[in-house]
Amino acid sequence: MSATRLSTPAPAVSSVIADTLREQASTWLFVAKTLLAFFVTGWIAMRLALPAPSTAMLTTIIVANRQAGMVLAKSFYRALGTLAGAVAGVTIVAMFPQQRDLFLVSLSLWIGLCAGGATLYRNFKSYAFVLGGYTAAIIAIPVIDNPPAVFDSATARISEVLLGLLVSGVVSDVVFPSRMRDVLRRTAREQFAHFVGFVRDSVGGAIPRDSMERAHLRFVRAAVALEDLRSSVIFEDAEARSRSNHLRLFNQRFMAASTSFQSLHHLINRLERARRDAAAQALIRLYAPLGEALDAPIEAGAAARVLLPRLTMARDAMHANATRLRAGLDGEQDLRDFDTGASLLHRFAAELHDYVDAAAMLQAPHVIGGAAERVRFDRSNDFLGAGIATIRTTLTMLVLGAYWIESAWPSGASAMLLATVFAGLFATTPNPTRVTWYVTLGYIGGMLAGFVCEFFVLTQLDGYGLLVIGVAPFLAVGLVMMMSPRYASHGLGWAMGFAYILALKNGQTYDPAHFINDAVAQAVGLGAAAMSFVVIPPAIGSVWLRRRQLARLRAQVALAAEAPLPGLRHRFESVNHDLFSQVVAQTEPGSADSRSLIAWALAVHETGRALIELRHDMAQQEIPATLRPHLEASLRTLARFYERPDAQGYLLARDAVATAIAGVGEHTGMASLLEHLHLIRMALLDGESVLAAYMPDTPLSEEIAHAP
Amino acid sequence: MPREIALGDALIPGLLVLFVLALLVLWLLDGLAGRLGFYRLVWHPPLFRFAVFVCVFGAFALFLH
Repeated sequence: MSATRLSTPAPAVSSVIADTLREQASTWLFVAKTLLAFFVTGWIAMRLALPAPSTAMLTTIIVANRQAGMVLAKSFYRALGTLAGAVAGVTIVAMFPQQRDLFLVSLSLWIGLCAGGATLYRNFKSYAFVLGGYTAAIIAIPVIDNPPAVFDSATARISEVLLGLLVSGVVSDVVFPSRMRDVLRRTAREQFAHFVGFVRDSVGGAIPRDSMERAHLRFVRAAVALEDLRSSVIFEDAEARSRSNHLRLFNQRFMAASTSFQSLHHLINRLERARRDAAAQALIRLYAPLGEALDAPIEAGAAARVLLPRLTMARDAMHANATRLRAGLDGEQDLRDFDTGASLLHRFAAELHDYVDAAAMLQAPHVIGGAAERVRFDRSNDFLGAGIATIRTTLTMLVLGAYWIESAWPSGASAMLLATVFAGLFATTPNPTRVTWYVTLGYIGGMLAGFVCEFFVLTQLDGYGLLVIGVAPFLAVGLVMMMSPRYASHGLGWAMGFAYILALKNGQTYDPAHFINDAVAQAVGLGAAAMSFVVIPPAIGSVWLRRRQLARLRAQVALAAEAPLPGLRHRFESVNHDLFSQVVAQTEPGSADSRSLIAWALAVHETGRALIELRHDMAQQEIPATLRPHLEASLRTLARFYERPDAQGYLLARDAVATAIAGVGEHTGMASLLEHLHLIRMALLDGESVLAAYMPDTPLSEEIAHAP
Repeated sequence: MPREIALGDALIPGLLVLFVLALLVLWLLDGLAGRLGFYRLVWHPPLFRFAVFVCVFGAFALFLH
């Protein structure tokens, strides 16, 4: 693919212009749609005489996105968060209408808890938590002097937000929608084509370790990206929703197949490094039919279906070849290596077949049967990071609240509100200090524009039509900035600051003193939020959290060794992928951190999967009582070693596995157990893996390395 | 059907209740249409969906008349 890109000549001027225009057109379409939603919302809110039309209008800016599915997903969670926050706000006011201290403490605690909850989720679910937090503040704080009005405040807030969501949902979905379904379809197709292509091209045998690592990175990213897309697209497209389960199944099978594929290649690599070419070559020959089966054009329409019969044939051919190739080997070690590889290869072929089958089901024009196996994409969450976010947000609120009470600052409420909103909104971004700073800059710019607009433009105008014309150019500046990757945060700040400070309502008031007071208070609130991120830095992206995530990744082996078996395979794969992609998103590509992470992830993946397979086989057959303690000891020592890697634990695990292999070897009919154990052992002894650091310095003699 | 409904002593407009009901019905119809692949026959699915909602909600609103 890269070769073709290199060989193309420089694009012609006309195509450059066309590309630029296309890009610009999508930006301006976004601006036009957002402005349309903004002003339609404002008009309806004013017609319905809602108390704060500006809230509804602000909502349309907050949920604005190029993709209709994103808008709908964000709207859905925003609605949920707003309802929950309204209930909390009313409850808090009802509990402490007279005690301002208790009121502030409980409100701060609620907001903090919501901010903490937000860090536990990725995508828009976290947004619902943020909303739940600050909606309570928005409802409760303005009525602090008049508690009986809290119910009206809550209903007004809910109506305004829901109105804004409704209008922007309809506008973004109906007016020239940009569909994410196509992106999803393309991503799924690309994932499929990449993986199949990669498998087909690597039939030749050895893949260098770094290209293996890159491939792993790509597979993980593809799996997580697909899951993220799926969770948004289901809001946009009923057809995607009805296939949602198939899509999850497709993704799970992809993860399973890619793990087995990697184990297989590590095995072949190890055999070649150990100069055990006979076994390696036999495995590569055994592998060949699979590559031929996949060697079909996969870009064409009903592609996956074509591959299915070919794969079945390849699997039959592999079964037939296995006995023949096995007969060609001699020597106990070669035979055992071959058996291990062959069982892995059969597992991989079966998983590949399932994966292609899932792809064919997805490509079918109609949903086949409703009964796709229900699978979940489990995520991995760090509760300590959430705790830090909770403490930070609560403290910010308490400090501002104390300042508000002590200084009796009339605009304290505004400052408090803004701090709440921003401390919550940006707690989940990787670099909140910088983002908050950019947004603050944009926000101040937006407020300045708002000043010019309100006192020099709006005072000259009369009627809604003219208001639209007067306001739109100022707002469009921010919206255009939102679409450029570099100024997106500035633009968001600009649009929010402008819309919020303008506070459009039916009886617009023109009071410069009040305007400036409010602007100062909002800037202080933003500054407080930014400060809070400096004082208590967020856990996300820190070395400390990365270390914890790495430890959790290693603990996945313990999960594989000890967690209850039903559903464990899916759970292991999805949590692994999620964790891995979290850490990858937070490390620089190519850095030492990132390299050691990938090395660990590969080891965890391989050993974990082998342990799960081992346990499945153990559960299926009768294990003699003399043997069971050995097997359990090797599971236990491996789990402990991965949880807390050190040289001593390594030796324990290695010896336990060797003992188990020796024990299993004495019984007949346990070939599959032996193969899994052998695979685990070879992974443990791999001198190129991350475990090499824990190996004793003395080189292993041949008989220890291949202890019976 | 009454114009306003008392829910825990808070008066709720009947139109709001009907709106929520219409949304539910739309969600059902939408899921059904997606499952049957009906949207492939439609030029602009979101617009179609929106129009269906207007029809459903309009029909429901006749109860208030």
